[in-house]
Amino acid sequence: MTDGAVSTTVKVMVVDDHPMWRDAVARDLAEGGFEVVATAGDGPEAVRRAKAAQPQVLVLDLNLPGLSGVQVCKAVIGDNPALRVLVLSASGEHADVLEAVKSGATGYLLKSAGRDELLDAVRRTAVGDPVFTPGLAGLVLGEYRRLASDPAPAAPDEPEAPKITDRETEVLRLVAKGLSYKQIAERLVISHRTVQNHVQNTLGKLQLHNRVELVRYAIERGLDD
Amino acid sequence: MGDKSKAVRIRTRPPRVVRMSVEQPLWRALTAYRLLTLVYAIGLFAIGWDQDEYQRPWAGVAYLALLAVWTLATLGRVSSAQRCTKRFLVADISIALGGILLTPLVATHQRILEGGPTLPSIWTAGAVLAFAIKGGWRWAAVTSALVGVANVIQRGGFSRDTVHNVLLVCIASIAIGYVVEVARTSERVLARALRIEAATRERERLARDIHDGVLQVLAMVQRRGAEIGGEAEALGRMAGEQEVALRALVAAGPAPVPAPASAADDLVRTVVPLQSLDREPDAPLDMSALLASLASSGVTVSAPGTAVMLPTYAAGELVAAVRAALDNVARHAGDGAHAWILLEDEPDAVLVSVRDNGPGIPEGRLADAEKEGRLGVAQSIRGRLRDLGGTVEVVSVPGQGAEVEMRLKK
Repeated sequence: MTDGAVSTTVKVMVVDDHPMWRDAVARDLAEGGFEVVATAGDGPEAVRRAKAAQPQVLVLDLNLPGLSGVQVCKAVIGDNPALRVLVLSASGEHADVLEAVKSGATGYLLKSAGRDELLDAVRRTAVGDPVFTPGLAGLVLGEYRRLASDPAPAAPDEPEAPKITDRETEVLRLVAKGLSYKQIAERLVISHRTVQNHVQNTLGKLQLHNRVELVRYAIERGLDD
Repeated sequence: MGDKSKAVRIRTRPPRVVRMSVEQPLWRALTAYRLLTLVYAIGLFAIGWDQDEYQRPWAGVAYLALLAVWTLATLGRVSSAQRCTKRFLVADISIALGGILLTPLVATHQRILEGGPTLPSIWTAGAVLAFAIKGGWRWAAVTSALVGVANVIQRGGFSRDTVHNVLLVCIASIAIGYVVEVARTSERVLARALRIEAATRERERLARDIHDGVLQVLAMVQRRGAEIGGEAEALGRMAGEQEVALRALVAAGPAPVPAPASAADDLVRTVVPLQSLDREPDAPLDMSALLASLASSGVTVSAPGTAVMLPTYAAGELVAAVRAALDNVARHAGDGAHAWILLEDEPDAVLVSVRDNGPGIPEGRLADAEKEGRLGVAQSIRGRLRDLGGTVEVVSVPGQGAEVEMRLKK
């Protein structure tokens, strides 16, 4: 990836409130052939610098002073929808991770992940391939089940909760059980690309639903005012 | 920099002590009441002296002197529940009853028949109220009954005045005793709620600070250790395991609230037995939190973001079954095997899967083992699930490890 022309070097920004950790991640990424265009230690700074530095990938800690990681995620994707966000969190705070993913983050990695895992995750995030750890798959599965068990929308114009197909459920469950895409493809006798598509779809539907909900909420508020 | 300010913040937080007492004002009021009624009793006696109503006036003077000395000497006794001992209460009421019974010997028969006051007069009510504040309405009822009996004896029969006065003391003391009991109960509940709240806040604060500091450093040690290799790698692995354990601890619900060590006063002491109410024996438990504690560098736990509640017993058994499955992985899947636990909350069932990346189970081996009657770990998993009314499925795909799927109907 990094051997190509200069224009293909992926521009990355690292956001973490812990200086030691931030520097270590930035160094690893630089050594791994990425261009670290900016770093930030708190929420508002992250939003400002992301606007100025225009990175392609944002490596984001969720627990930030000033503005939460979820809010940063919403803000930067609002500014630049092409920006990919990879959540790198030590906390395992489920609700936050899910919220970040629904508002546009396409990957989630625990901080205990190794250096190579991180580099691989950033690489995949850069090309738009979601980074699904087993933990995230479990959360997303749970979220679809929660949406499905919620009572049906009362108003007819209310958007229907996103549904997950049986095959997508099957794929997510296997991801959550730690199987690689290759192993899943073998087991289900489908192509690697199809596995990727299924995973991407599950995430895309959640994010779309989230956006529709936000717009609807905004319109309702606007009409009420 | 940031670390230093954090350390300071931890040290400077003062312990929160919240103490609101309904009882204390009552004790203060009682102290004042005893003093005022002493003066009143002496005044009443003096008025009677002027009108020459006493057959043995000096006995009356002696009694009132004793009453004055006693009241002043024991003023501090009615300042709190601890100092107001049972011995004091008994002595106090004895003096009051003695004074009532002494009245016919001091006063003229005429004065008694006219409904003249007893020697201690309304000072008696102070002794009854002390019982009420100390022990609640039952003690108050018993003491006021005693005072009633003494009054009837003093008067030599029932009269409207006597019954009226006795009833007043009775109702007032019982009402105050009841109010004190209610106040004590609400104070206990409030104190407990405050402690739970404080404990939760403390946990959240710890969670934030630990997150910022210790977890990051541990994760960092793990990461660098793995890169350096050798001895550092083992250190890193240990750091990683501690990081996971700590994260699970921080994410778990509030710990049982410990009773304060210095349970010096009544209020706090009575809270201790209530501890058992904090967790009912069969209250539901969150499977997510229970399973999260099993995570380690070799075990990944995935769960929905919401709590998955199961009754205590079922949750305990299911966790035990998962532990058995993990033991099985450790035994059969070889060194460096990894296990994944997946918790799923379906509308009608809870699903827990444990998968490893070991060589898997050779075809027919499970069936063979079953035939020979030795199933070991698999047996204990099946047994537990069967007892709970659940099912177990063991799947092994060549090259993809073994998988135990436990399903428990809700």
